[in-house]
Amino acid sequence: MNPSLKLLLLLLIALEISFTTIVSLNIALVLLAALYLLLKGTKFKTLGWLLIVPLLPAIGLWSTQYINGSGDKTLMAWVLFTRIYAFVFTGATFTLTTNILQLADALEQNWHLPSKFAYGVLAAYNLVPKIQHEVQIIRAAGLMRGQQLSFWSPQLYFKAILVSINWSQNLAQAMASHGYVEDAPRTHYRQVRLRLRDWLILGLGLSCLQLGVFVIPWR
Amino acid sequence: MKWAKSWTLSDVILIALIGIFFGAIFMGTNYLYDVLTAALTPFGLAGLANELLLGIWCMPGMLAGYMLRLKGSATLGELLAAVVEMFFGGQWGAATLISGVLQGFGSELGYIITRYKHYDWLGLTASALTTTIVTFGWDLAKNGYLKLQLWLLVLYLVVRFISMFVFGGVLTRLITDLLDRSHVLKSTHTN
Amino acid sequence: MATIALNNLTFTYPQAVAPTLQHVSLTFTSGHFTLLTGPSGTGKSTLLKLMTGLLPLDDPAAIQYDQVNLSAIDQTDRAAKVAMLFQNPNQQFAMDTVENELVFALENRQVDPTQMAARITAALDFVGISALRQRKLLHLSGGEKQKVALAVIVAMDSDVILLDEPFASVDPTARASLLRRLVQLRDKAGKTIILADHDLTDYQALVDDVVKVTPARNIVPVTVAQRPALFQAFEQRVSTTTTWPQPTSGQPAFKLHQLALTQGQHQLLQPTDLTLFQQHVTLITGPNGSGKSTFFEALVRLHAYQGRISYAGQDIQRLKRRAYARQVALLFQDAETQFLNITVQEELAQSQKHAAGTYFTTARIQQALAQLNLAGRDEQVIYTLSEGQKKKLQILLMLIMQPPVLLMDEPLKGLDLASINALVQLLQTTLAATQQTLVIISHQLTGLTPLIDYHLHFDQQQLRYQGVPHES
Repeated sequence: MNPSLKLLLLLLIALEISFTTIVSLNIALVLLAALYLLLKGTKFKTLGWLLIVPLLPAIGLWSTQYINGSGDKTLMAWVLFTRIYAFVFTGATFTLTTNILQLADALEQNWHLPSKFAYGVLAAYNLVPKIQHEVQIIRAAGLMRGQQLSFWSPQLYFKAILVSINWSQNLAQAMASHGYVEDAPRTHYRQVRLRLRDWLILGLGLSCLQLGVFVIPWR
Repeated sequence: MKWAKSWTLSDVILIALIGIFFGAIFMGTNYLYDVLTAALTPFGLAGLANELLLGIWCMPGMLAGYMLRLKGSATLGELLAAVVEMFFGGQWGAATLISGVLQGFGSELGYIITRYKHYDWLGLTASALTTTIVTFGWDLAKNGYLKLQLWLLVLYLVVRFISMFVFGGVLTRLITDLLDRSHVLKSTHTN
Repeated sequence: MATIALNNLTFTYPQAVAPTLQHVSLTFTSGHFTLLTGPSGTGKSTLLKLMTGLLPLDDPAAIQYDQVNLSAIDQTDRAAKVAMLFQNPNQQFAMDTVENELVFALENRQVDPTQMAARITAALDFVGISALRQRKLLHLSGGEKQKVALAVIVAMDSDVILLDEPFASVDPTARASLLRRLVQLRDKAGKTIILADHDLTDYQALVDDVVKVTPARNIVPVTVAQRPALFQAFEQRVSTTTTWPQPTSGQPAFKLHQLALTQGQHQLLQPTDLTLFQQHVTLITGPNGSGKSTFFEALVRLHAYQGRISYAGQDIQRLKRRAYARQVALLFQDAETQFLNITVQEELAQSQKHAAGTYFTTARIQQALAQLNLAGRDEQVIYTLSEGQKKKLQILLMLIMQPPVLLMDEPLKGLDLASINALVQLLQTTLAATQQTLVIISHQLTGLTPLIDYHLHFDQQQLRYQGVPHES
């Protein structure tokens, strides 16, 4: 499916279930998403991990409603508990099957997102491991000058921004040297199509969701 | 897309990098979130952990808005941070994007109502306030806050504003003061 | 084919006090390989960036390609005219894989997608890196990244190729291979090549022209007659006739037990047992890209390693980071990494406040500042200092900290001879009093030799003491 429409569908699902209170719908979404992921070759271990990671926040939300809720506390507790899992599993159908490059291509080619946004973010994204290492370096350099830099230290962010400014200029210059010109036309090697099929899947998905929300009498 | 014209490639890379850098720094606070959540869960106050730390996660947007002073910089700063988070180890999926847009737009709103003229405490406070209101509105639905008892709702709202003000306001100001004094930003932004 | 003319080119960075380049009038001949030389931080990068159109010009006629102003060449056509290979291989790619980066460049050039695969294959073949096509750029060595950068330029078929200190993190084999390709590009494809480097090794036989930056920030040709002297002077700066004794016994600072280092998929160091000694100065030399800086990063726990490193008898992984950082500090290659504040005075105060020893009193600091020609700059913003001043300040800040062990990564980089002499003198008097342990990575040996006790050489995945074994 076209990555941009897939993301749109998932965004709409996430939005709609945020305003519904149907436990069984949340569970159905989790099961559907898990099934989809298995068909796409996701390992059981990864699925297990998706079950464990949100457990603490899910219990937190559950207990908040169960103890301090108003109205039908038990229902709301379970709605929120299952909603978190619905977010995580439907989200995983995107993040585990689509990479940022595919999304950027689709947004650039199908939706005419200015290429500077697509490639600017990609250039930064591809430096994530370097950035994690740089944060360690900044912290270590601080300790060597006798200063512990914590998440509340302005200097830690200041140093990170200085590095960001430096890197952003280097990257922008390198991209210009590789022929990139802002707002200039480009050709596309990886063609991303927006087919009728994609729109049909989007429509079908949304219709099924409406059935689940308004027609089928679950609770 | 007129607003997009005022953005240069290096601006886009810059705020994306800042979003990632901040994200990498915040990762270090995850343990704090976990410990607080676990400790508060038996009392049904787990959300307090989120409220206390939410200001940190809204920093990229608030800082981008205050630092770059471009229309849309707060929204885009937070959105880009959310995009990267979604792909890199973020497990909340599309909900991350929705939160990102709302957090960013919330921060932007403070500058919109001060007409992009108040890059001072007024603008910062307005931004912290609008970020609080917009994100809280979303959590009324998403996190079921609407169904909570009133005293808890008020407590959460107050704590959230304090967090936004401390991290998005005070800390942002301290950071940008350092940047101003170092003269690095001006020389880069004329290029 | 393009002849490039610089016409009375002057460039001053915004907010800079002095111009970086002044009244430069020079012609680069089409189809020639020109070496642009001069000390670090004297405007070589700036010139190349100006020639690529990456920095704005005041006078549009100051740079002309075949009598056409650079600014008059449409931006979308510029990459066909001129492309640049940058010094830092880590920040010159937008994409994740080698192939995607080449695709990105060809898309920018609006190449027909059906022709791209063939052009990419040809470019990778030419540079000899077909096997890297699907690899992630992140996992490549410095040398491989520069080869990819060259492949991008080859695929774009740019007339003029500018290279800015391209070999700073490239190992000798990759460097030789890259130089061979550049010569081939000149001879077979008629490309114009301009390469900036302060390291002059190997160029004498390869290049057609040599130009150098003068102290007045002008750029002048070096005549054929002047060249031997230039290359010889460089040889002397990086070689030394001094040999140091091999260490025999002493108090160990670090003990390495089967230490092995890798960078991505590359083995940098085979399992090695070695001792570094306390209260001595150990010099580490070795070619670029051999892993010297990575070794330092491992010693301060910024890079993962196999085997064990112990400091003062304890495994460094078991020490608290904070306590360990007060024992063993690293002088980073990039001076700005070490700074935390805004003004010179604030930095000095910070170091003095957290110093591990008391050697640097306020009086001694003032004296050292005078010695290093940094006096009277208390209120200056450090980010407005010149590169040389930043380096000297950085070293002073770390000396004031007085850590028992200081690892220095290329401490003399970009410094003139007067600064080097002042610095070595300061180090000598300080060490005599503080008995600190120093480990120094340096390419530049002139002036440094009196300080050194032992010499380690890092090459071919081996780290070994050099010099004559002690007779006992």
